[in-house]
Amino acid sequence: MGDDFTTDDLDMEIIGQLRKNGRATNQEIADRLDLTAATVSTRIKRMEKANKLRVIAVSDFAAHGYNVMIELAIEVEGRPSSEVARELAEFPEVFAAHLVTGRYDIDMLVVLHDYEELANLMLNKLSTVKGVRSMVPAIAIDVVKYEFDVAPLSARGAV
Amino acid sequence: MSDPLLDDLDHQLIEILSKDARISNRKIAADLGVTEGTVRGRVKRLQQDGMIAFTAITSFGLADQTRLAFIGVQADVGQVKDIANEIADVPLVNAAMITMGRFNILAFCLFNELDKLHEIASDQILAIKGVHHVETSIAVKTIKYNSRIVRITKPENPAKKK
Repeated sequence: MGDDFTTDDLDMEIIGQLRKNGRATNQEIADRLDLTAATVSTRIKRMEKANKLRVIAVSDFAAHGYNVMIELAIEVEGRPSSEVARELAEFPEVFAAHLVTGRYDIDMLVVLHDYEELANLMLNKLSTVKGVRSMVPAIAIDVVKYEFDVAPLSARGAV
Repeated sequence: MSDPLLDDLDHQLIEILSKDARISNRKIAADLGVTEGTVRGRVKRLQQDGMIAFTAITSFGLADQTRLAFIGVQADVGQVKDIANEIADVPLVNAAMITMGRFNILAFCLFNELDKLHEIASDQILAIKGVHHVETSIAVKTIKYNSRIVRITKPENPAKKK
């Protein structure tokens, strides 16, 4: 964000092809866009190097055995919320953590294999972090959609 | 979503491909000490089962939408599933889940300008029949994020775009 990196229409067309099939070869993409494979390769590498693009396999929650997802809204007291969020983010169960505007200070998503892990996470991990005043959960009982093709690629654990 | 029977090799393949999808079957096969045919077959099966999908992820800065917001929705409990599906279809809504807690639906949406977020929350989502209340909260800073794990909804056509 806010840097000098620019992309043109051709870059976006290549990204479009990769979104459809990230495993397409440079030659396949080149044929479709009337380019050379070398051009495709150079352009992809340039964007990857600048941390603007990742071509990856995304996997389903189920592939990791994550059957439980909970959103936690956290109120912070007596400590900077960014510090608290960074400490909370250390726990592997914390899937995402954002500092947010509004009534709560931190919004987190946690993922678990099953509900038996919840007590340990809440009592022995999250609530030991200094500055956490309260945690209000929303238990996801059906994840209708969860797909992101853009991401803060520089954030911790992004890809 | 039943428990899939993925073995160690499946998990190794997912691990490798989730860092770089453009690595060749041959290279993966050599690294893992299996045949190229095994890699090809496994990858195909994982894709067909909706366990993985290959895609391109771009940074927020490269996209038109650079901000993330959480939209909590209170909706008619009797129609919550239909309403959640309808919200999931709203352009720029990237995630929607039915929840128990402060709301009964939680949606994530990407936006660029505040008036766009307002339009999504107050014009589009609030206008859906059965939606009683929406509350938005904007992510100011992302501390941790994982874009590799998602819900794959269309195994046959994993790259479907809105």
